[in-house]
Amino acid sequence: MTDYVAGGIAERSVPRGSGVGFWGMAMVVASEVTLFGTFIGTYYYLRFTNAHWPPPGTPEPRVVVPLILAGVLATTSLPLQLAARAARRAHLWAARFFLCWALTVQCGYLVYEIHDYVAQLHRSAPQDNAYSSIYYTLLGADHAHVALGILLVVWLLWKLLRGLTTYRLNAIRVVAFYWHAVNLLTLIVIGVLLSATL
Amino acid sequence: MWQSRPGVLGWVMTTDHKRIGLLYFWTTLVLFAAGGAEALIMRTQLIQPNQHLVGPATYDELFTMHGVTMIFFFIIPMTTGAFGNYLLPLMIGARDMAFPRLNALSYWVFLGSGIFVYTSLFIGQAPNAGWFDYLPLANAKYDPGHAIDFYCLGIIFNGISSSLTAGNFIVTILKLRAPGMSFNRMPLFCFAFLAASFGLLIALPSLTADSIFLFLDRNVGTHFFDVAKGGSVLLWQHLFWIFGHPEVYILIVPAFGIATEIIPAFTQRRVVAFPLVAVAELLVVFIGFGVWAHHMFATGMPTVTVVFFAAATGVVVIPSTIQVFAWCMTFVTGQAQFKTPLLFIAGFIFMFVAGGLTGIMFLAVPFDQQVTDTYFVIAHFHYIIFGAAVFPIFGGLYFWFPKVTGKLYFELPGQISFWIIFIGTNLLFFPMHIVGLEGMPRRQYTYPGGLGWGPDNLAETIGSYITTVGIVVLLVNLVVSWFRGAPAGPDPWHGATLEWTIPSPPPEYNFAVIPKVSSAYANWDYEDRAEDRRKLAEGIMVLEQGHEQPVSSPVDGWWAEIVEMPHDSPWPIVLALALAIVFILLLLHLWLGFCFGLAGVVLALLGWHGEEPEEAVA
Repeated sequence: MTDYVAGGIAERSVPRGSGVGFWGMAMVVASEVTLFGTFIGTYYYLRFTNAHWPPPGTPEPRVVVPLILAGVLATTSLPLQLAARAARRAHLWAARFFLCWALTVQCGYLVYEIHDYVAQLHRSAPQDNAYSSIYYTLLGADHAHVALGILLVVWLLWKLLRGLTTYRLNAIRVVAFYWHAVNLLTLIVIGVLLSATL
Repeated sequence: MWQSRPGVLGWVMTTDHKRIGLLYFWTTLVLFAAGGAEALIMRTQLIQPNQHLVGPATYDELFTMHGVTMIFFFIIPMTTGAFGNYLLPLMIGARDMAFPRLNALSYWVFLGSGIFVYTSLFIGQAPNAGWFDYLPLANAKYDPGHAIDFYCLGIIFNGISSSLTAGNFIVTILKLRAPGMSFNRMPLFCFAFLAASFGLLIALPSLTADSIFLFLDRNVGTHFFDVAKGGSVLLWQHLFWIFGHPEVYILIVPAFGIATEIIPAFTQRRVVAFPLVAVAELLVVFIGFGVWAHHMFATGMPTVTVVFFAAATGVVVIPSTIQVFAWCMTFVTGQAQFKTPLLFIAGFIFMFVAGGLTGIMFLAVPFDQQVTDTYFVIAHFHYIIFGAAVFPIFGGLYFWFPKVTGKLYFELPGQISFWIIFIGTNLLFFPMHIVGLEGMPRRQYTYPGGLGWGPDNLAETIGSYITTVGIVVLLVNLVVSWFRGAPAGPDPWHGATLEWTIPSPPPEYNFAVIPKVSSAYANWDYEDRAEDRRKLAEGIMVLEQGHEQPVSSPVDGWWAEIVEMPHDSPWPIVLALALAIVFILLLLHLWLGFCFGLAGVVLALLGWHGEEPEEAVA
């Protein structure tokens, strides 16, 4: 093939590579951040139109356990980033190890949180008042995003069973980016929900 | 290079942006006909006082479906889905969109959401609380049944499609521009679509959240909008208009983009103040996010809030005016040839200025409060939405018709269709100002005689039929031209942008030679085009072996890498079908089935991602 030159760069010197997947995930994250921004805006709009927050008779959220759990979940950004780094260096087993590490913590977090969510529903329900409605919606939306992140990590591990390709390396980078966003959102959501105790 | 799969299956599985653009076009045309029929029934009902062609309940459904259809199922998908999909990659010298399968998914989800919402009409459960669906009217107590659930779920379903399209456009514009097309060499059309796409991506989640809250209030018993339990009815309005006002610009900014391509072609000069117009297109959407509460001046907000939003609304005038002056000066300083597309753009500028002037009047808060919910508001926003969004769509249809079909349209019937539509719309919408100022409220299924509203309403109804005749003439002209028009050749208008450098209709891969770009008016850079032709003649193509696409750096447009693009795929339509099932199960309150539906979505996604590019395994 004759060499093609565009913008002063020859075709043969252009890498075949990382693609636009990362940009696509950036769009997803922008949309998700706006969605959560709307939820959080709703929370504070309702808070400032109510004299009592939470309303009398509705239990305040617990502080210590959710904070610790959110902190533990946030640490999973590290193994995911390490998995992306290992994959970039073609260290397949290291990438699998870091993904398994992240998955274990993520699953532990979600199992406890779902158990806690159900337990809270026995004390107060979304049908009680506007505070409970936004509380459970915001927390539930965050848990759904954690669950989606777990599914993505499981999918990555399944893909890596058959070796490492550029496509799969890109997938790890993209999922890691999504997961960092979910961790950040989780910290913010927990902070917002705990602000009711202030 | 590559070919599309033939037959119906080829269209069902297509990932070609041009085919998807055409699918959007035909679908939105059908929905436009539905929305137009609803409008005609309403106008026929209001032709004179005390008419009872339809009852109040049916009338409620008609104006709601008309608004929902025209906003969500006609203008957005027509501009972004049809025009954007077909033209944007061509204008930036790309061979496809950044995410071709996602693009197909956007279309199939859009089609599914359209069928979903219109099913409600056929089973007698159509949304009936207005396109902005205010609370408490739309809650389960005052509006039982499935009508509002159709609205909520349909809006969320449709929003998925629009969000995917918006993200796809942004990445396509930022990353798939031909090497050498730095940001300042990008056509104004692309700036407009970049602005509208950012607007859609950021504004839609607000409406999605609002619809989720309403669906939960109605079906789960939450209290987001229940004042007795700490909720707020104004919360709905805030969230709706945080989406709804940027939405106005999302509707008209792509139309600005169409205008900025038609004007240079028919004046044979570059748009005056190119950088200012580019910035204004972005600014108008950005500022549009800060003005939503001007839709709520009658709700009793604090004075300081009202004044802030009135002032912010005034600021939007500045970028809008910059563009109007730039268009007019391009007309004046160029050699304007008033062929049909340019006539529609001239009509658009007239209607936009007229609608803009009545828009500024709403900044006077006492005036706004006086005319809220009257026909004056209807007149204003139809001048903007029909005049400023639909006129450029019609102009664009004529302008790019030769590119899409390879045929020239008939000029005289084209100009006749413009004049009929122009006279019809002004006769339809101008008297609404008068009856509005006289106090005629919107959304009333009929009105008593003796109030002096009869003659104006008669004129409006006649105008609506004249407009319809004009649109029919336009469509018949295009259909006949398709079969009997003269061959157009690649560049019948001596257009300014890259789509005019390739054959009409374009081949599947768009560009055999990745074009050289030195300015935003690439087709007028004769040396570059001569070099492209030389390369083609010598067989110096690029990436001619596979379905590959150059990817550039986002700002400078340097060639950064090469990516393999996906081929035709069945998974977009399968995933859209799975999503449709999820929404139907939600509507029917089949919660367990809903969980299975989600599992179906996950399986479809697994199938989608089972297709990987062929490459070596480490």
